[in-house]
Amino acid sequence: MSITDIVAIIGMAVFVPLLGLLFMGIARKITARIQNRIGPPFYQQYIDVMKLFSKRSNISHSWVFDIGPIFAVVGMLTTMLFIPMGGFQLLSFDGDLIVIMYLMVISGLGIALGAGASGNPNSGIGVMRALVLMMSYELPFVLILLSVMLYYNTTSLAEIVSKQADMAWAVLALPLSAIVADICLQGQFGEKPFDQPIAPAEVATGPMVEYGGKYLGMLMLWHAIAIIVEGSLFVNLFLGGGIVFDPSTYVGMALNFLVWIGLVFLMFFIALLINAVMPRYRIDQAFAFYWKWPTILAIIALIYVMVVSSW
Amino acid sequence: MSQTKTIDLFFGPQHPGITGNFSVRVTVDGDTVVKAQVIPGFLHRGFEKLMEMRHWIQGPALICRICVPDPDHSETGYATAVERLAGIEVPERGRYIRSLMLEMSRLSAYLFYFGGYAGSIGLYTVGQWGVGDRDYILDLFEELTGARVYHIFNFPGGPRWDTPPGFEDKVDKLMDFLEKRLKEFDKLYFNNRVFIKRARGTAPMTKAYAQKMEVTGPNARATGWAIDVRKDDPYAAYPDLDFDIITQKEGDNYARVIQRRMEFEQSIDLIRQITRKLRKMPRGNVRVTPNPLHWKIPPGEAYGAVESSKGELGYYVVSDGGIGPYRMQARGPSISHGVQVYEEMVVGQRVADVAALMFSLDVCPPDIDR
Repeated sequence: MSITDIVAIIGMAVFVPLLGLLFMGIARKITARIQNRIGPPFYQQYIDVMKLFSKRSNISHSWVFDIGPIFAVVGMLTTMLFIPMGGFQLLSFDGDLIVIMYLMVISGLGIALGAGASGNPNSGIGVMRALVLMMSYELPFVLILLSVMLYYNTTSLAEIVSKQADMAWAVLALPLSAIVADICLQGQFGEKPFDQPIAPAEVATGPMVEYGGKYLGMLMLWHAIAIIVEGSLFVNLFLGGGIVFDPSTYVGMALNFLVWIGLVFLMFFIALLINAVMPRYRIDQAFAFYWKWPTILAIIALIYVMVVSSW
Repeated sequence: MSQTKTIDLFFGPQHPGITGNFSVRVTVDGDTVVKAQVIPGFLHRGFEKLMEMRHWIQGPALICRICVPDPDHSETGYATAVERLAGIEVPERGRYIRSLMLEMSRLSAYLFYFGGYAGSIGLYTVGQWGVGDRDYILDLFEELTGARVYHIFNFPGGPRWDTPPGFEDKVDKLMDFLEKRLKEFDKLYFNNRVFIKRARGTAPMTKAYAQKMEVTGPNARATGWAIDVRKDDPYAAYPDLDFDIITQKEGDNYARVIQRRMEFEQSIDLIRQITRKLRKMPRGNVRVTPNPLHWKIPPGEAYGAVESSKGELGYYVVSDGGIGPYRMQARGPSISHGVQVYEEMVVGQRVADVAALMFSLDVCPPDIDR
């Protein structure tokens, strides 16, 4: 690994949380406008994170509790390494799409471990809901991944991106898969109607209820990275990874990167608009929802791809 | 059989899923509530005893605090009881202004209610919109009474003064606006599929149960039981107004919310009837109140009830001929809805519906504790 790679990795590890926080700040502003409010300034999330990290007191329940948020952030950052970001690919090998699937679960488990160790029943129920929700959307999502892998005949995310640059974007080639993946993305983002794990009126923000100060700051960073990683995964799978200009020139690279940011924000924006006008399902209803229509559509999409690719 | 492990969850007093200074301790088995215990008393201020130490005329300033989102009904309930005791007849215009205030208060309380229930299931936009629209009603209250939340306006004998010039037009304009907004609320909220899916069939209440547990107001009407103090024991200008009792059938969360939505529309209609009448009436004569310094109520006892936004809100007043009430007893709707009914109905619900049920019953904790 060369020194440029290390610099790129560190640079991305700093840039992605900052970008995620910016998205969260804009999200608060947009939601406020929908709700007839003025809303906080778009840089409010930076202020919040800085404030949380400058808090002095930390109440710890056990070392698992301490390590949970770190686990989550590191898990998400590791996932980020495997995801092409507008032409920037930090790590890549054949089959990284399957690794990404596992790594994304790992960061969720970090929160589950930490919140479980706090001993608060609200956290426990929140974690239980988070795991059920994960199980619900993973099934259709894995089926969709299978259809995309089959269609492009590769398990490497980088190759899927480069093949989309040659052929059409997958959203045009596989529209049904893209729709189902977007429904799953709503659950991955944890936006309504699928925000059961952190439902304030039901479980008092669930896993985060015992976390405060620096821990909460870590969780906010985790959420910020997760938005970028999950949105980026969708963009890479279905929107060509944001590669629209010739990546061999510096100007093309920079423009591609901006397009990638725009596309990730677009996906987040769609989720946000749904979030603003939807109540949340009960967790059993969310489970039933995901295992019904999205799964059926995902199977249809998979069969479609099998038929198309066998010709 | 293995022993199932239950956990205790504390909803409140510091919890986003509680209606105020109130607490519920639910025992949960898996995701289902097996036992619930409500813990009221955080807001006990001893209104009934405090009233005994005050003059008759000081009453409205105190009891409007019994129910924060809907204070005018408290004032009017007390005023009606005292008027019945003293045999005071309020002038016609005074009665109409009173009804106007009560219906406006009902509208503002229902806007809160919509937001409260929607917030408990995660649709925060409704809450923000509702509170924003409620502010326009408060603006009108400010213009009429000088105060936004606690108006201290409906005294025994009638409202304190007449409406300012042009007030009726402003009210009508606001009603047009609210009617337009209600259509948007319909799109966002009442026809929202997720809301319907969650609310339909959740915590149904039968008519027989409602009658047994003294459930009143919209909660009772949502079960199909047509009771309404405005019809059964008319006060203010309601005998002259044209309206029917709206009822639903199912008595579940959905019926309770839709019941309020229908009554919201009805209130708008009532307010239009009132403003139409107010315009035709001669101005000025709204109140008959004797000199407050010589204010004496003959000995006796009387009960005055009003149909508040939460249910029957009654005041039982006993006078011994002195300068203040000898004894005053308030009959609030929330003590039945929030304590007895809630404790029984929440058993068997999912954890997700503990808050939703409380908001759908429209429990007002200050009214429980008093």
